[in-house]
Parts: sequence; structure tokens; C-alpha cells
Amino acid sequence: MSHPIPIAGDFLSLLAAHNATPFSGGNSERAPVQTQATTVFAFHYRDGVLMAGDRRATAGSVIVTDQVEKILQLDASSLLAIAGVPATAFEMAKVLQTSFEHYRRSQLQPLSLAAKVRALARLLRENLPMTIQGIGIVAPLFAGLDTSVTPHAPRIFFYDPLGAQFQAVGFAGSGSGAPAIRSILSFQERFATPPPSTMTRDEAVRFALRLLMVASEFDSATGGINLAAGTFATLMALESEGIIPIDGTRQAEILGS
Amino acid sequence: MIEEPYRWLEAIENRREYVREQIKEGSPAFAACLDEGILLLGVGSGSSKVFEVFDRHALVGLGHPADIERLRQTAIDTVHLEAFMRAPEDVSLRRLVSFGLGPQLKTSFEHIFGSPFLAELLLAEVGTTPERDLLTRLHFDGGFEFQSGGVAALASRREAEEPALRWLTGALPRGTGRRETAEAMLQAWACLTGTRPFDEAIENPENRAAWREQIQGKTVEIGWLARTSRTPGRYESLTLSQLDL
Repeated sequence: MSHPIPIAGDFLSLLAAHNATPFSGGNSERAPVQTQATTVFAFHYRDGVLMAGDRRATAGSVIVTDQVEKILQLDASSLLAIAGVPATAFEMAKVLQTSFEHYRRSQLQPLSLAAKVRALARLLRENLPMTIQGIGIVAPLFAGLDTSVTPHAPRIFFYDPLGAQFQAVGFAGSGSGAPAIRSILSFQERFATPPPSTMTRDEAVRFALRLLMVASEFDSATGGINLAAGTFATLMALESEGIIPIDGTRQAEILGS
Repeated sequence: MIEEPYRWLEAIENRREYVREQIKEGSPAFAACLDEGILLLGVGSGSSKVFEVFDRHALVGLGHPADIERLRQTAIDTVHLEAFMRAPEDVSLRRLVSFGLGPQLKTSFEHIFGSPFLAELLLAEVGTTPERDLLTRLHFDGGFEFQSGGVAALASRREAEEPALRWLTGALPRGTGRRETAEAMLQAWACLTGTRPFDEAIENPENRAAWREQIQGKTVEIGWLARTSRTPGRYESLTLSQLDL
């Protein structure tokens, strides 16, 4: 990646000028077994978007950890859900976090939602050589606030590993447990009561936790919820006023109520 | 000219006089370390003076807006690169000024065929306690002074800055709140920008509220670096009405 003409406020240009471009390394033909992060999803509820992820990372049939944070806060109004190879995904998150803040501070205005969505697409495209070789694949979800409308509206975007971006109308999921979750979300929205889009935040949290429980029954790479062990999901709500993290204590209260 | 020591010294001295002349009308600015954070205050007319630099860092400038902007962009690029390559916790004001801004200003000042920076800065880094706060005065020639905690003033003339700093230090004992601090800073600003000597002006009871008239048509900018926060970023821009002023 090279930028012959520096772009004002563009952090990737700054990195290129200092020969510090991420995702530029080659890779070995004999790659090790990759650690993978699954399962993440996001859906619209009455007052915003809920983004959720289990906390399991696997490498083949090995459970690497059940303590991964897959929902990452990029700035005051953007969330990234990572599915795929954490090594690449965490680096992308760090690039985006620094880029968004660098732009906001240097240009004295926040980056638009469209530019944030595109920034992630650019990173995925930069990662294309790794993706094609089957190493370092990332299929993330992104949620951000559309500030061009009043009140500010949370939006969900999903990507393919090559960088194509799509806006999700009701929900999106990624990772190995996502098919089960997407099926339930679709059924609930079309035929059941209440549809997710009308749920309150607490209802949405309870629903998201139950979705992860179900997904973990069909997918060994999805960690699920373990009340006895105190293992919960990573949950963050994005509403017009900003991000609301929902910690394990609150999740336990909602599940128990 | 470089080969002739006398002309070199003369050129530098001329340059120093030129910069001082150019920034002498610059509006003074202040920073104070309080129990709950650091307050920065500047009064501008049309261009900004107080800026967020990084999570725990802010600056206030005096001088030519374009040069303040160049320095601000350099500072922001430097610390974000540092935070990305290492970690946000590794960003430090001491390193930014000692190895980044200071040498750049000095080089620019001594390159006598190029344009010098017509700006000076006051930079702040909020710590875990007021004693661990760091304030830095950065001069146009690249010189800098660090101080832990306390109050700092930025004026175009050193002889004006010292009495203001002395008065503010006495007027802002430990435990002073944001409102009282901002008001004292505005009083000091009004006296520094007036025609009478600072000590004489500040003791005059009629001048206590003079700042309200003097800020008419100008913009008071207040930056606040909170000592604790739920988010990594501690900077917040405040208005006079938020401080009940």
C-alpha cells in the first residue's frame, strides 16, 4: 500500500509515510493451524442495535480460550464484531480505532459513517493476499451511528472477506455459529412475537443470550453462556446517544429476571 | 553567512526580534492542575486556541493560527503513530516535546533562510494525581520547560507572564474548583491584555469583573482533561455557561 499524495487526516497515509503499513507482510506456504474467533451477530431492537459475540476462540478442534472479547469499541459511536482470525482482526481494529480518533482530532470533526464503513472495506481489501491463501480471513460486522438523520440512527453493516460491504436491514451474523442464529432471527422477525425490532433493550439482551445458547448446541466453536462458570457474552448496545456496554453482572440479572 | 560567526549571531538575534514582534499581540492563555483534572483556557477572536491532542493530552497556543495549526498537526501525527506502534499508555508529553516538537521548532528557528514558527504552546498531560500532572511551556526557539502540577501561563512577553503566574498561584490554592479557576484566569487575561502593568491592574477592584466586557466579540475556549473517565479520551470542551460564568 502506498499513497504518493498524503491525504489530510488519513492515518493509513501517515503509516505509509513511516513505512509502518500493516497487512503488508508475506506469508508461509506452511501456515500453522489458525486460531479462529466465532460467533458474532447484530440486530436492530426498538431503540438501537445490539451487537453480541460469544467468547470462544478455537484452533482446529482445540479450544484456545473462552475469554475473547469479539465486540470492540472503535470510538464513541462505532462497534466492530470480529469473526475469523483474531490476529488480523485485532490489528484491523487497532488501525480503525487509531484512524478514527486521529481524523477526529486532527480535522476537528468526526469521520462520517460512510467513511468509517469504507475504511474497514479498505483494510479487508489490503488483506486480500492473505485471504486468498486461506490465512488471516476476517469477516467482520460493523455498527455505527448515522449522524445525517435526527435522532442519530444506528446502522449495521456486514462484509465479505474481500471487502464488499452491505447494509443489514434487520440483522447480520458472521462466524460458524451464525447460520443457526440468522435462521432464528429471521423466523422471529417474520413469524414470532415480539419481533426483535420491537424489543426493549433488556428483551433484546435476553434474546441475544438465548441465541448464543442455541448456537452453542449446534456449533462446537461457539462458546455459549455458562451461568455456573460465570461465562457470558460480550454485548454492546448502540443507541442514538452512544454505546452502552452490558457486562456479565447485568446479563446475569436479565437472564435471571 | 554561516561561515561568519558575527553575521550568524546577528541573523539569529534579528530573527528573535522578528518573531517576538510578530507574536506580541498574541492572546495569553493558561493551564491549571486541579484535583479533578487540568483546565486550559484561551481567548481567541476567530481562530481556535485550545485543542485536544490525545487521550490525556491537550494544548493551548499563542501566535499565528497557521503555525499553531502546523504544530498541532505535528503533535497529533506523532502521538497517534506512537500509540499505534506501541500503546496509548506510551504516549508521553515529555517525549513528545523533548524529541518531537522542541527539536523541530529549534531547527526551524535556526534555519535562517526559512520561515520560523510564529507560535508558542502550553501543553498539558493529566496524570493519576495533581502532582503527576505535567505542564510544558514550549517557546518559539524550541526551548521548553516542564513543571509538575501547579499553574502555567502563556504570554508573548516573559516580563508580563511572571507576575500573572505569581498572582494565579496565590489565587488558586489546592481544592479550587473549575469555575473559580476559570474566573481567575479570565481576570488575569483581562489584566495582561490591558494597558496597565499587571500587578497594578489586578489589585484594582474595578478590574475584577472587567473581563466580561473585554471578552465581548471574542471566543473563550476552555478545555478540560478529566483525571478519571469511563472512556480512554479525557478531553472535553467546556463553555462559560457550563461553568456558571
